[in-house]
Amino acid sequence: MRERIDLAPLLRDAVSTPYSDLVTRPTGVSVRQRIEAQIAASPHPTAQLDFGAIGLLDFSCADEIVAKLLLNSDVERPRFVVLVNVSDAQVEAIDHVLETHRLTIIAMLAIGGGPRVLGWQTPDLLAAFEAVTALGAGDAGRVADSLGWTIERAADALQSLALRRMVQAASGTYCPLPLS
Amino acid sequence: MIEVVPVPQSLDDRGLDAMAQGLSSWPPAERLLIDARGTTWASPYGLTSLLTLGQALKELGVPMPRLAVPESDDTRSYWTRAGFFHHAVEYFELVGRVPKRPGEAPSDVLVPVTAIRAASDVHEVVGRVQEGAMRILTSDLKLEAKATMGFAMALSEACQNVVEHAGTGGWVAVQSYFWKRRLGRKVAVIAVSDAGVGFRRSLESSEAKKVGDRWGDAAAIESALLHGVSRFRDAGRGQGLAGIKRYLVRWQGKISIRSGTARVSVRPEWDDDVPLAEHLPFFPGSQLQITIPAQETPTR
Repeated sequence: MRERIDLAPLLRDAVSTPYSDLVTRPTGVSVRQRIEAQIAASPHPTAQLDFGAIGLLDFSCADEIVAKLLLNSDVERPRFVVLVNVSDAQVEAIDHVLETHRLTIIAMLAIGGGPRVLGWQTPDLLAAFEAVTALGAGDAGRVADSLGWTIERAADALQSLALRRMVQAASGTYCPLPLS
Repeated sequence: MIEVVPVPQSLDDRGLDAMAQGLSSWPPAERLLIDARGTTWASPYGLTSLLTLGQALKELGVPMPRLAVPESDDTRSYWTRAGFFHHAVEYFELVGRVPKRPGEAPSDVLVPVTAIRAASDVHEVVGRVQEGAMRILTSDLKLEAKATMGFAMALSEACQNVVEHAGTGGWVAVQSYFWKRRLGRKVAVIAVSDAGVGFRRSLESSEAKKVGDRWGDAAAIESALLHGVSRFRDAGRGQGLAGIKRYLVRWQGKISIRSGTARVSVRPEWDDDVPLAEHLPFFPGSQLQITIPAQETPTR
């Protein structure tokens, strides 16, 4: 279950510009507030932010939209965010700002391919994410078996993924986010 | 009484120091006559800086300076088509003939001289560059698509610095030209200049104590450009210049910032500029220049 949020209409609503670029901090703040309102009103736990109709994304806007969205997320009501239709140039801006904040997010690129982890990451985090994505919902034991790790190591990595809202965790089961 | 400030024949980042040398004091004690009669060429940096001088004087409330325009018809015509005189009339009493009809902007002018006062101006400039300049960046400068997006990103962040930090408006211009003497290649240049408080005053309250005796224009620019320091406490701030630097390293570009009496540059291998120039003649506000060279083998 997921909510698809197309950023282009939100941009048009936020600023009167004929262009489709997400630039400047004030624009980023304004667009993020609209995203937060949509997420809050949605019954679905996962939101997909669609960058498909967006041109340029600068560092300031990437910081205000993506990084601040993750930083402001409600602890009481866990929400998950995935980026979709992201271009190469947009990846660069998002990666840069997330690394600065030590944040992480999953992105599906416009050119296709599997999910990509952007921002701060460790080899274990990445390996566990790829294992969960490939295996589907399961516990730490299954991930440990597939990677040849101890169960403690797998549990640590999965817990880190859960804290970063990159998987949904419930009663020892870790479930990948809906990516399509 | 009037004080004459000569403008060098070539008004670029180096020529600006010569022009600033002509300002005997700041604020000036006398009305200024900026003498550009012998000027035959100005880079975007030169044109935006000249407007900054006029704007700073206006904001000081001193008598409007006079600007003796270039005697060369070609230069006057170029400055007109690059958008300079359109804005200059607000800050200078122009002495000499100025072409009335601006006509088409020259093809190498990617963004004519444009005022930056608000976030909406940044949207406009970035949008215009993407509409019109990307073809030139890819065909003339051989930049690949990813690099042209980075160029627009750098432009956006550079312009935002004016809106966020200067405390007043500024100017931007973007141009491509053949840099025969320095590089032997085409370059694209982004110039942003503002008449604001400058890096030292912008960062003074948060950084001066930490830096101690070395605090000044150079230390302030270094803090912002090399260490990503911002006057805002938010951890996400200061990423604009850091992002620009990262982009420039990848494409062998150069960034140079002048503020007050210092200039700090992050240089690629091809550049012979000094990384730090201190004790320069004072010039108001801040001036930033980004240079991206064509991605090809230098001509011999």
